[in-house]
Amino acid sequence: MSEILQIKDVRKWFNSEGKKLLVLDGISFDVRAGEFIGIVGPSGCGKTTLLRIIAGLEKQDEGEVLLRGKPIKGPGQDRAMVFQDYALFPWRNVIGNILFGLEIRNIPKKEALEKANRFIKLVGLEGFERSYPHELSGGMRQRVALARALVCEPEILLMDEPLSALDAQTRNVMQSELVRIWSETKKTIIYVTHNIEEAVYMADRIVVLSKRPAKLLDLAEVKMERPRDRFSKEFIDLRAKIFRLIQS
Amino acid sequence: MRLERVKDFFIFFASIGLFLALWEAYYWIFVKNPFILSPPSKVLVTFVQLVIGDPKFAETGFSMPLDMLYSLYHYLYGFSIAILIGFSLGLIAGWSKKVEKFLYPVIELIRPIPPIAWIPIAILLLKLTHTAAAFIIFIGAVFPILLNTMYGVSSVEKKYVEAAMTLGATKTAILLKKVIIPASMPAFFNGLRVGSGVAWMCVVAAELFGVSQYGLGYKIQLARLYHSPDVVISYMLAIGIIGLILDRLYRGTENRLLKWRRGFVVE
Repeated sequence: MSEILQIKDVRKWFNSEGKKLLVLDGISFDVRAGEFIGIVGPSGCGKTTLLRIIAGLEKQDEGEVLLRGKPIKGPGQDRAMVFQDYALFPWRNVIGNILFGLEIRNIPKKEALEKANRFIKLVGLEGFERSYPHELSGGMRQRVALARALVCEPEILLMDEPLSALDAQTRNVMQSELVRIWSETKKTIIYVTHNIEEAVYMADRIVVLSKRPAKLLDLAEVKMERPRDRFSKEFIDLRAKIFRLIQS
Repeated sequence: MRLERVKDFFIFFASIGLFLALWEAYYWIFVKNPFILSPPSKVLVTFVQLVIGDPKFAETGFSMPLDMLYSLYHYLYGFSIAILIGFSLGLIAGWSKKVEKFLYPVIELIRPIPPIAWIPIAILLLKLTHTAAAFIIFIGAVFPILLNTMYGVSSVEKKYVEAAMTLGATKTAILLKKVIIPASMPAFFNGLRVGSGVAWMCVVAAELFGVSQYGLGYKIQLARLYHSPDVVISYMLAIGIIGLILDRLYRGTENRLLKWRRGFVVE
């Protein structure tokens, strides 16, 4: 598989009360096309910052981030992001939110509607097309955010702890759904989470980051077949291994 | 629930009824002079005559429908310019901190001057014209619209802009059209409603000075010269009713256009 994204020795400082605070300390890894990458690490370690750099919302201070060999200069139509709190547009209903990216791309209305409806079906939101975000549950909002990003058919889908606000039951269902959607759409997914189990359940490879300043601790390959059994020995062992790695 | 409504209804009429009764009594006990005050019973008759264009009044130029049209013309003339300028400046100043800093001193200097204080300069500069009236109305309405729009734009949450950018909206014009403007509509409508209220007051104030031969404000003043308090009060009533209708109109439009904002209510 070809490498779609290369992250080379990325460093990032934050300004905090006049002092420079190192957040990302020389992160390097490659992402292959069609891969499901999980990024795990303790809260506040800089996972989100790394994702925002890939999205083009922030710029690294040192190092390179190459998308198909070219440096990232800002947000682009080749990448779409799903935010932790979904950031759905409250003034647009479900179909309006999903149509947003298609309007930007000047896709003819009829075609756009057909496409939006296809993705509404894909994420299981039939019947809620006209509902406004404030009328939806957390899980449903998450589905809208996912459909809104997927419908743009980005090469890379960036996800920032999209399931962290959900209860355990819904989260497990959504994890299976995500894996299903990923295998149907063949997108490259970079998925940030602090939940190790989530990453082990879904990802092909897991980027393990240390606490701040974040260093790359490991790039763990998950070789288990999907759907994965959360209670198998292999699953529990890998989970424990990553857990210990972060703790140390 | 139903009983509550019957009760509210009763209180509503009792309140108005008592007010009218006291007014009527006050007239017949203390005033008893039709040249300085009229009782509500007389005002009601005059009001109806003015609305239907009774020749008794029409001959002296008191035609309430025509006066309403002129006043609404002044209102729309000044208010539409206030919307245009208030909204565009508010949008730019809310978007750019530099523009805001640049505009702020002038705004803060002019804003505390009551619109009515502008009347003399408006008449000197623009003579007794419709434009002079529109100018006063503009001054009154532009600041609430400008400041509310500015506030609305500058308080659009960053996450919406970022979400739009990651969905491909990277050009400023598209961000403004698709994110900033819709997200700041609630604040804009707030400014519109407040601005409209001020504008309507300014219509009356500007017309008092005789910018035209028709208009509700002008006729109030004229009727005073004719010592017809019944006509004065009838026109006051008309001003109040139109002001109320305008306010309801904006509220209605706002509720219809911004139903997405009606949070937490799932129907």
